Amino acid sequence: MAPVPAFAADSLTKVFPGGTTALDRLTVTVPQGSVGLVGANGAGKTTLFRLLLGLIRPNAGRVEVCGRPVAEDPIGVRSRLGFMPEHDCLPPDQTAQDLVATLGEMSGLPPRAARQRASDVLDLVGLDEARFRPIEGFSTGMRQRTKLAQALVADPELVLLDEPTAGLDPIGRQEMLALVSRLAGFGISVVLATHLLDDVQAVCDHVVMINAGQLVLAGPTDELLERPGTVRVDVGGANDALVQALTARQLRVSVLEDASLEVDSDGLGSDDTLNAVRDAVADLGLPLHALSTRHSSLDEVFLRQAGER
Amino acid sequence: MTAPTGPLGAVYDRGYRPYEDMLGGRRSAVLALYRASIRRALGMRRSWRQKVLPWSLLAIVTVPAIINVGVGYLTRDTPAEGFEFITYREYVGVSTALLLFVAVTAPDVMCPDRRHRVLPLIFARPLVGSDYVLAKVGAIATILSGFGFLPQVVLFVGQMLVSDAALDYFRDNAEVLWQVPLAVLLLAVYYAAIGVAAASLTSRRIVGGVAILALALVPSVVTGAVLSTNDVEQGAVAVLNLLALPIYLRDLIFLGHIDPESPLGGVSGGAVLAVVTYVVVLAIAFAILLLRYREPDA
Repeated sequence: MAPVPAFAADSLTKVFPGGTTALDRLTVTVPQGSVGLVGANGAGKTTLFRLLLGLIRPNAGRVEVCGRPVAEDPIGVRSRLGFMPEHDCLPPDQTAQDLVATLGEMSGLPPRAARQRASDVLDLVGLDEARFRPIEGFSTGMRQRTKLAQALVADPELVLLDEPTAGLDPIGRQEMLALVSRLAGFGISVVLATHLLDDVQAVCDHVVMINAGQLVLAGPTDELLERPGTVRVDVGGANDALVQALTARQLRVSVLEDASLEVDSDGLGSDDTLNAVRDAVADLGLPLHALSTRHSSLDEVFLRQAGER
Repeated sequence: MTAPTGPLGAVYDRGYRPYEDMLGGRRSAVLALYRASIRRALGMRRSWRQKVLPWSLLAIVTVPAIINVGVGYLTRDTPAEGFEFITYREYVGVSTALLLFVAVTAPDVMCPDRRHRVLPLIFARPLVGSDYVLAKVGAIATILSGFGFLPQVVLFVGQMLVSDAALDYFRDNAEVLWQVPLAVLLLAVYYAAIGVAAASLTSRRIVGGVAILALALVPSVVTGAVLSTNDVEQGAVAVLNLLALPIYLRDLIFLGHIDPESPLGGVSGGAVLAVVTYVVVLAIAFAILLLRYREPDA
């Protein structure tokens, strides 16, 4: 039997009053594990989360979370979800322990278990000593950790993290990403919504890219990163003949500032482009100072795909 | 100095433990929110400053009962026997302290959820908007019921114990055992509903508190002014006095009719008018709340 996807959307459309289309016929199936939901601000990430939680209804299409249809069973879906909103959402006069325990109870934990698990998850996110302090004295990093703890307290099957590294300094960001990367090991699937593609590249094994409410692409992170990048070649400045030869082979070539050439491998793939460049250099008898390939980053993949649409 | 022997301690990662048991569903979520709201309103798990007001008000509403019982005890062998400082019916009307309590606590349990944007965390749990409303109104109504009922228990038990014949006292006053809880419940639900509804319209506690007091006091003043302008003491317009409305229902429970000396006394169909207005006010309050929490994070 095929594993149940973390969520599956079918022609999911959401148009807000006023005519703003937040999601436009989004169809995607997301496997369990760590999934990055990436897109620019306003791409529809938060709207998708609200639809997954059943907090708003789609205008068209349907969505299932952990195998359950959200429209028919929003309560059952929410019982299996943890949610970490992007914005600040913590009452300042409560302690982290009290807040997380209370929200744990609201997720269905008995009071005693809620207190115990609140202690455990706050310890897990690194707030062991601070958990009895009022949240108003917390730094941004501590607040983000508290938000993550409340999402985890009831042991969800899937946790939705909306921009968990927003506002964090580089160290805090690395620590948050390290925490997120551990969740899959606990058997908790993660959907990480962010516009920071480096975050996704660091912790997610699957990527869903959306832009203006539409699916740009989806797939395993490794496969996306293996998409063709560029081949760089340095023949000591004797570029004219090589440019001609490569252009004749239908390759796009650009001359860089340091007089080396960059060959776009979008058409042939990295290996074939590399071989073509090598052969052309050999045929022309040019001195080969350097030859290397460079894979795309997720930023480049996203920009290229979004630009093509 | 000898070196310590044995293990000095251990650094360990407790890691993450899955929760193996079944999670409660919607009912558990509502009960948890209800309990959390009660704790918040009473200042529990909060600083002592947050505890002062609710518990002071509880003390204040209990004072008449203590005075009544105390005087009854001190004068039990004197001609002042039978002293009655306050009746059970009147005690249900000691509502100023309860109104003040609602004006303070209803905004405190409602406004921060909106002001600090906690609602998305709450509505990501297995509950819906009507559950939220039920838990919040239920929490305030429960405390008000407690604050309205407990002093009456003190009064009843105290009077019974200081009377010459406790059983006779019990038998003679047995009807208050249903009258008091019912009247207190009607009052508590009424104050809780309009208090929580008014507080739901703002994210600022102080504005919510002022709105609740205004909602109770302005119609009281206006209806009084209208009656005095017409040079009468009674009239149907008195039913619009939102502060007095549950008192009319209290009289219906205890007396079986509107108190003839009340502003609504002598008005033809006054009892029906009071009951209908009470229901309409409650319906409006709940309609406001359900509309307000129809789309949770809007």
